[in-house]
Amino acid sequence: MSYVPWATAAWLSAVGIYGVITSRHYVHLIGCLTVVQSATYVALLSVGYRFGSVAPIFYTRSPSTPAVDPVLQALVLTDIVVGATITALLLALTLQVHKKRGTVNPERLRPFRQ
Amino acid sequence: MPLPVAVPLLVGAVLLLVGKFLPGRIPDAVAAATAVLVVVIDAKLAAHAAQGPLVYWMGNWQPRAGVTLGIAFVVDEAQAILGAFIALLFAASFAFAWGYFEDIRAFFHVLMLIFLAAMQGFCLSHDLFNFFVWFEVMSVTAFALTAYRLEADPLEGALNFTVTNTIGSFLILGGIALVYSLAGMLDFGALARSLAHEPGDPVAVAAFCMIATGLLIKGAAMPFHFWLADAHAVAPSPVSVIFSGAMVPLALFGLGKIYWDAFQPVAAVQVLMDTTVLALGMTTAVIGGLACLRQRHLKRLLAFSTVSHGGILLIGLALPGAASLGGFLAYFIGHGLVKGALFMVAGILLASAGGIDELWLRGRGRPLWPAGIAMAVAGILLGGAPFGLMDCGSRLMDAAAAARGEDWVLIAIVLGAACTGGAVLRGAGRIFLGLGEMPGEEARGPSEEESEKPDRPLWLMMLPVLLLLILALGTGLPQVDETAVRAAGRFLAWDGVASIAPVTPPPPAAVPTGVHPLVPWVSLGLAVLIAAHDLGRAWLPRTWRRRFERAFFEPIFTAIDRTHDGVVGDYVAWILVGLALFSVSAAAALHAG
Repeated sequence: MSYVPWATAAWLSAVGIYGVITSRHYVHLIGCLTVVQSATYVALLSVGYRFGSVAPIFYTRSPSTPAVDPVLQALVLTDIVVGATITALLLALTLQVHKKRGTVNPERLRPFRQ
Repeated sequence: MPLPVAVPLLVGAVLLLVGKFLPGRIPDAVAAATAVLVVVIDAKLAAHAAQGPLVYWMGNWQPRAGVTLGIAFVVDEAQAILGAFIALLFAASFAFAWGYFEDIRAFFHVLMLIFLAAMQGFCLSHDLFNFFVWFEVMSVTAFALTAYRLEADPLEGALNFTVTNTIGSFLILGGIALVYSLAGMLDFGALARSLAHEPGDPVAVAAFCMIATGLLIKGAAMPFHFWLADAHAVAPSPVSVIFSGAMVPLALFGLGKIYWDAFQPVAAVQVLMDTTVLALGMTTAVIGGLACLRQRHLKRLLAFSTVSHGGILLIGLALPGAASLGGFLAYFIGHGLVKGALFMVAGILLASAGGIDELWLRGRGRPLWPAGIAMAVAGILLGGAPFGLMDCGSRLMDAAAAARGEDWVLIAIVLGAACTGGAVLRGAGRIFLGLGEMPGEEARGPSEEESEKPDRPLWLMMLPVLLLLILALGTGLPQVDETAVRAAGRFLAWDGVASIAPVTPPPPAAVPTGVHPLVPWVSLGLAVLIAAHDLGRAWLPRTWRRRFERAFFEPIFTAIDRTHDGVVGDYVAWILVGLALFSVSAAAALHAG
């Protein structure tokens, strides 16, 4: 298997986490988090991918046709659901925090400021 | 078999549908009854599992010709007991929250029931991805529950909690991708069998590092623990009870599970557990304890005590063998009961005394003296008193460490217990007896105004506290040591292989002895000494305060304050530091092996 997908995943998570650490705006930070998550999509899909095979749907084909690994496809689907939930929840929290504090800069939002 | 998961999920769904039409206290009653029902189911499972592990294949997808495609739940005595304890904590928390949440649609109960179902699923799951899914359900409900009150501090705490833990989830997913690329399966037993063929594979070690880091973020080990103090301190008290008592230790149990069930054949992972994880546990126990002493926000103090005791639990996990795992189980339950009771006391103070700042509360707790007695008892138990479930757990861990010639591990356990117990005793003395007057101290700026819904009767709130403390004292639970060690031994022998092979007869359970009987007294004495020092500072000679405290403790405390700055970017940077630490030790372990 090629190393390109792994390198891509590593790069995506590296830039995503850099973004999370340096972000000055929560919506931007949530975007960066989504970038980190795309790394997991790439990694999972590349593990299950087989060159020259078809999608694991055997409605019109014989079940012995070479297909990509359906387990990983299921994992990625679950991953997408998780990502959507987290993003929605985070955006809702950000909206509420903006209502209460009037800012969405993580540097200025500190629980228990001394 | 899947009932502990299915029942709360179903009841939660029904409550969500009809919650709008239910009057008054009915959702409270339904939720509490569901939790009690789960306790009963888990207890029955524990009784059945004593003969051998129970295996349930979803949709009856049993392994065929050595290929494991199905997803299994495996119930051992240990898991069933933990599940029963968690459900019991939920029942107590529902009782404590009686009439706490007035909203019309019972969202709180629905979220808590899903939270309960997720924890049960996490306990029983025997498939790496299924394990991740329950972990994630647990996380998302926890995020939502933290911010339930929709006020500024809870929202900020919840944001930090969500961002850090989500990065942990992604790390776990990455680890799953790596291990699947290597083994091509996800069932724990099948995974272990496949990993045993290549015990020196660096990919397996990398996968373990990523999954372990993800779980340690949730389990709040140093340096991944920063979110915990923010989140536990601001969540509603009944939710904090569950967070500290069950969620954090459960994540650590999850780490133990993936280690013993799947990754143990990999030599470098064993080294990693023996050295790095043990060292992390010891550091966490001590630093968490010191940070705990530093707090004046009572719930934040308790949150740091959870960090410290999480470290002690991690020590129990890292030491191999049935004795220390048995210690882990007993400590898990004992700590959960005590910490649950303490967060309830904090909730009582928030509701009846109208504040949570320790200095502001000085002496204001006198009318609530039963809560004061409960807090003192809990402080004594946390401080390592020589009775109760926590003591049983730490004795087993001590003995396991001594048997390996690693007696020095004891120091971390004693220090962690003494600091946290001392902090809680100090709080009890100050709030309920009005001790420790220091002029000008309150002027240092109290934390934000907080209070929780007042008009609940004291006896109703004290009832679950009493129940938890009586259980923590170990009354009515005979032979805790034997049960814990037996369950742990069977878990180690059976749980991993249960899905792929018939199990062998149960291993004999030998309870180790050999720790000096004075150790618990040393720990408790140290706790009392710390409390007395903090409360009696006004009488100490000025030179002592200047020289000793300023020179020795101020730098440590300042460093602790500076790092816990509440900025989520810094927390994520710390996570990277921890991950790097893990990777370096893994590389060293691989190189050495």
